[in-house]
Formats: sequence, C-alpha cells, structure tokens
Amino acid sequence: MSVNTHDAEGRARARALPRASRTPRRRTAGLLFLAPLLVVNVLVIAGPALSSVAYSFTDWDGINTPGFVGWDNYAALWGDEAFLNALRHNLVWTLFFLTVPMGMGLLGAYLLSRIRRGRTLFRVIFFVPYVMATVVSAAVWRQVLSPTAGLIPALDAFGVPWVGGLNPLGDPDLALGAIAMINNWQWWGFLVMLFLTAMQSVNPSLYEAARLDGAGRWREFWHVTLPGIRPTLVFLFLMTIIWSFLVFDYVYILTQGGPAGSTDMLSTLLYRTAFSEGRAGHASAVGVVMALISALTIAGYLVLRRRLRWDV
Amino acid sequence: MTYHLPRRDMFKIAGGAFAGATLLSACGGSGGDPSSIEYWGAFPTPETEEYFRANFIDSFNSSTPHSVRMSTKQLTDLASLTDTAVSSGNAPDIIYSPGPTTSISYAQGLKTLELDDYATEYGWDERLLPWAAQLSRVEDRMYSVPTSYGSLVLYYNRAVFEENGWTPPTTRAEFEELCEDADSKGLIPVGAGNSGYPAQSEWYLTCLLNAAVGPNRLYDILTGARDWTDDSVVEAMEMMKEQLDKGWWGGGADRYFTNTDPDMCTGLATGDVAMYMSGTWSFSSMGTFFADSGNDPEDWDWAPLPSLSDDVEPGVYPLAIGTALSISSGSKDPDAAAAFLDHLVGDTGRSLGYLAEQGENPPPVAYESSDFPEGTDPRVQRLYEEIPASTNLGYASWTFLPPETNTALYTEFDKIITGDIEPAEYTEVLNSMFLQELGSGASPTPFTPQ
Repeated sequence: MSVNTHDAEGRARARALPRASRTPRRRTAGLLFLAPLLVVNVLVIAGPALSSVAYSFTDWDGINTPGFVGWDNYAALWGDEAFLNALRHNLVWTLFFLTVPMGMGLLGAYLLSRIRRGRTLFRVIFFVPYVMATVVSAAVWRQVLSPTAGLIPALDAFGVPWVGGLNPLGDPDLALGAIAMINNWQWWGFLVMLFLTAMQSVNPSLYEAARLDGAGRWREFWHVTLPGIRPTLVFLFLMTIIWSFLVFDYVYILTQGGPAGSTDMLSTLLYRTAFSEGRAGHASAVGVVMALISALTIAGYLVLRRRLRWDV
Repeated sequence: MTYHLPRRDMFKIAGGAFAGATLLSACGGSGGDPSSIEYWGAFPTPETEEYFRANFIDSFNSSTPHSVRMSTKQLTDLASLTDTAVSSGNAPDIIYSPGPTTSISYAQGLKTLELDDYATEYGWDERLLPWAAQLSRVEDRMYSVPTSYGSLVLYYNRAVFEENGWTPPTTRAEFEELCEDADSKGLIPVGAGNSGYPAQSEWYLTCLLNAAVGPNRLYDILTGARDWTDDSVVEAMEMMKEQLDKGWWGGGADRYFTNTDPDMCTGLATGDVAMYMSGTWSFSSMGTFFADSGNDPEDWDWAPLPSLSDDVEPGVYPLAIGTALSISSGSKDPDAAAAFLDHLVGDTGRSLGYLAEQGENPPPVAYESSDFPEGTDPRVQRLYEEIPASTNLGYASWTFLPPETNTALYTEFDKIITGDIEPAEYTEVLNSMFLQELGSGASPTPFTPQ
C-alpha cells in the first residue's frame, strides 16, 4: 500500500534532517511560532469546549451562577422526547446526505469527466448554488415552495396533478424532506467538483488497462474510479456525518424546527433550550452529545484506517 | 534546505505582531469617551435610530453633565447579545431586557443594581402605571424601568368592514358570526401563522387566553391558585382547535405554518384577511402594508379584543412590556445611568414625540389627551388613552410567564394544530413546567385584576 511507502519515506526524510533542526534552540523557535496559534486555539476552541463540558454538569440558566447537578442533564436527555425526536431527525438527515447528494455528486462528476466540450460551463452551473448565501437561497426556496404564491400554485393552475394543496414547508410529513432537498440543491454541486478533481487524478493508464481487459463503463467505474478516489470519498463520508449533526442554518431559517417539531435538529433544540428556555446547562449536555457523536465518527474512521490501512 | 531567521528579523516580526494585536484590540473596543456610560440600542429602521439618537442620546449629552454613548445592535440579536455580555461580565451600563422575565433573572443573579433610591429621587414609582411599577420589582425591590409597553388588539380594514356591513365583534357569538360570513365569502376570517417566527403563536394564544379564560382566572393561574389544566383553559384550546380546523385562523392548519406576519398584514390590506389579532407594535407599520398594496393607509383600524366566553368582559387589553432597562452592577457610573433612564421615561413630551413621529411604544405612564403632540395618529392615541382608563387589563404571555413555560406555550401549540396532542395533554405539559418555574422564583408577579 502506498501509505506504507509514504510513511517510510517520511521517516527517512525525518532521519535525514540536519541535527541542528532538532536542537533545543530550533525547538524553542518553532514553539514560539506555534504559540500564537495555540493561544488562539485554547481561547477560541478548547476553552469554550471545556467550559461547555463543565456547564453540562450544572443547572446554569445562561446568566446566573451555576449549581452542580452531576449527571442529571444527561440522564434527562434519554427520557426527553424532544431530544430523541431531534436525534432521529439528525440520523435521517445523515442517511439522506450519505446517499442522495453522494450519489448525485458521483454521477455528475463521472459524467463530467467523460465529456470535453462544455465541461467548464457545467462546472460553473453546478457550483453556482454553493457560493450563494444560505439566507438568500433559503428565501428563494421559501417563495418557490409557498403554497399560495410560488411554483406549486402555478403548476396547479397548469393542471399538473398531485401538486394542488401541497405545502412542503408547512406539512409536518414533508418539511424535513423539503429542507434536505433545498440543502442538497446547494450542496451536491460542490461534491461534483470535489469528486471530479479526484477522478482527474486517477491514472489514465488504469482505465486503458481496464478497457483492454474488456471492462464496461460500470466495471470501469466500480473497479477503477471508485478505488482511485477512495481518499476523497472516505473523507467526505466522514465530514458528511459530522456536518449532518451540526446542521443548523437552513433549518433555522426555514422552519426553526417546526411545524410541531417535525424538523427539529439537535442544533435547533440546543439553541432553543439555551436562549429561549434559559436552560444553558441542559443545552450544554446536548452540545456535548453532539461533539461525542463527531468524536466517535472520527474514532471509527481512525480504527478503520488502521485496520484496513487506508491511504487517507 | 533550512533557513535561519536572524535574531533582528525575529524581533521585527514579534514587534509587528504586537503592534498588530494592539491595533486589533483597539479596533475591538467600543470607542468614544471612556468616562461615558454605554447603552445598546436596536431599531426597526434607520430613521427610528436617527430620531432616537437626536432626541434621546444627543439631548441627554447636551443637557446633563453626564455622557452616554450608544452602540447599535440588530433588533433580533439584542436580547441574546445582552445575555452573553451579562453572563460574561461585560455588560453595558444600561442592560436591556425584552420584558420582566429576563430582568428578574438578572436581578436574582445580582447582575443589576437595586433602583429604589433612584426611583425615589426621580419619582418613578409615582410616574409609572401601578401594574408596571409592580412588574419592575423583585422581592419588593425595584430592579428595572419599563421604557415601552403595548397590548394586543384586533386589527381590521374599515373599507372591507363597511363593504360587508360588519362591525368589530365584541362577543363570541358576534365573532363566530363574522368568521362564518367571512369564510363563506372566501376571506381568511382571522389572520394567523408562524412561519419564520414560531413565537408568533403566542400572540394569538395571549389573545385567546385573555378573551376566553379571562384576566381573573389567568391571575389565579399565574399565582398558582389555579392549574393550567383548569376546564376554562382546556375549553379555550378546544375552541381554537375547532376554529383552526374550520379554516378560520390563518386559513387552516395546512396554511398556518407557512403564513408570516407580513402575509397577514398584507392580506388585511388587500381584503383577503378579515381580522388580525396582533400587537400594537404593528401600529407603526400597518399603514405601510396598506400603502404598498395600493390601499388607503387610513383604512386600517383596531378594536379591543372581543370576549370569547360568557364569563369574560369584552375589550380586555393584555399588557406587555416591550423593553425594561436596568443598571449593570458593574457600571462605573450608576448615577449617570439612572439619569439616562429618567431621560428615557421622565419626559412625557419626549416619549410621545417618539410615538407620534416613529410609532414607537411609549413608557407605561398615564397620559392625558393634551399630552399628545399634534400629528399623533388618533388610532394610536386612542390606545394610550384607553388603557390607563380601563379596568379590563390582561396578561401577555411573554411578559408574565417564566421562560420555559412560555416557550412550551407556543412550541407545544404546534402539536395541537397538527393533532399530535389533545388540548388536555397540552395544558398538563404547561402545568408541570409552570409549577416548577413558579417554585424557583422565575415567574414575574402579576398585577391584581382591577
């Protein structure tokens, strides 16, 4: 595996470094350069993160002196229907974004990699939604999906069946799917770009060899393209899981977790619990659970990487 | 290849970094005279901000030995920004609260100063309406000064009402008759919806609870003498559910979650919505909705809420504090901060000028007809003359309910609309939360019904 080669090369390079580079003076200079970043990291990331963990064991209301309550906030989460409801929605969201946008991104990138003329135009078209501000695209989609003034009544007027009375953002059964589709509209073009870049780095001789062996398009994709872009694929799977548990913007702008909690996510629940209900300690526990899910995802990935010796 | 950075260059880099950091930290400060007190303001329009700056900030700085500097924030962020600043010990001298619930929390945490001496010095207790003075107190000590108040009323379009031969309803029978007629004519009888702002439901719920349960029973509930599970509350919620299912509120459950407040105001102007129960904060913008849709801005009007129960007197005014201000316990100059608070509430002409020019709600003070400046919209003036004269005063949820109960009031209400829970279950959820918060002292003390 190339990972071993890289590691071996890295170790060889490290051994080859001049002894002077490892002297205490050099180390001090290095630490001095690192110090501002470390300070910023401690102040901006580690400090608040640790204080969130500490607050999750308190009854803090966000303003007054907190009192220690032990594991009460965590114990309360497992019986909290609002928390379980939000967690379910995050899991559905994760499943959706691991499949639909990934599939669309792979397909789009593969098709783009097969063409020469118009490729740049398509890249721009696919990428434009990604650079739009979330607030803008959410406002546009809210209008488009309006049951009174948007695309739906227009289609209904044209006699399109099934759309009459449809209210994607106002129907508890449709709202989560509607927001996921809107988010996907912005997201999948970005995946196309990433996958396309990865596909272009696959050695063309592998495709030639596959064709000589009689492989069709599907086998070429399955046995050459996918293994060739595995680092990108694995990285995006990992990040999709993490991002799916942090999703907030579209949900907050479009429904704020409604109607009737049908689009509530852990992040919107956390925000409401902390800022509307004044239960910052409980909200911190929700935040810690979200962080733990991300940590477990990364840990799982690291284990897989070590066991399967993935080159990522 | 390695590169050894000369020591002189390292000093240069370090010096540059220090200078940059100093510059950045200087940019991060609020600037201005460090001896002046700090106030955070938020405004609906740049014109309102300009008016406030000229008539409240600049006039204070030029007419008193003190100095105040205003930092403008986004209206939607002011409360959460203040919370964060207060909890981190970096609050401005004047602390904003969107009502007494938050100011109680600040007072209990000793984040704000007791104001009794200043209240005596400036006569705030005598000046403020009794119910507002009472709400400013925590354990019988004054901790905040309410600087704006309003109510909820029933908005209607005079032209549409004349055309249909309607008059503003005062009883449940009249209300239901008008709703049926409007519905049969293709209008949404009562504007409602919560898209973009889920807490909007509490406007309608406040109207419902005051009009159908009534101030007397609500007082009992708010003091813990009666439960939220009381029959009157359950019946009120059942009535609203029934009317929602008929499509009377916002066009029905399927439309409720996509209707916005601007949609409903525009609908009122265009004649698509017959009535709209909302806050008096819409006084300043209702005319714009009428003008923007090509209608006469003079056509909007309001009436007090109808009674939706035989046991409730028609015309109840639910009272709501929009802004309550306190003095930070970390303020270096509390005397200047108190003087500024008095500048905001102590001059009737200045307060009513702000109301007349910008439509901003005034402090809860008794006003005479002669106090209102020429040019005050008579529809606005009528409200602030009628409320002090009325004995039928009620309770707005966001002013009189503790935070967790108030949030549940509108988030759980969504589930009634969708049919996920029954009204009786809804009241049980509210009851358990409220009793817990009442016990912890987080609930404001309601005024006694008059």
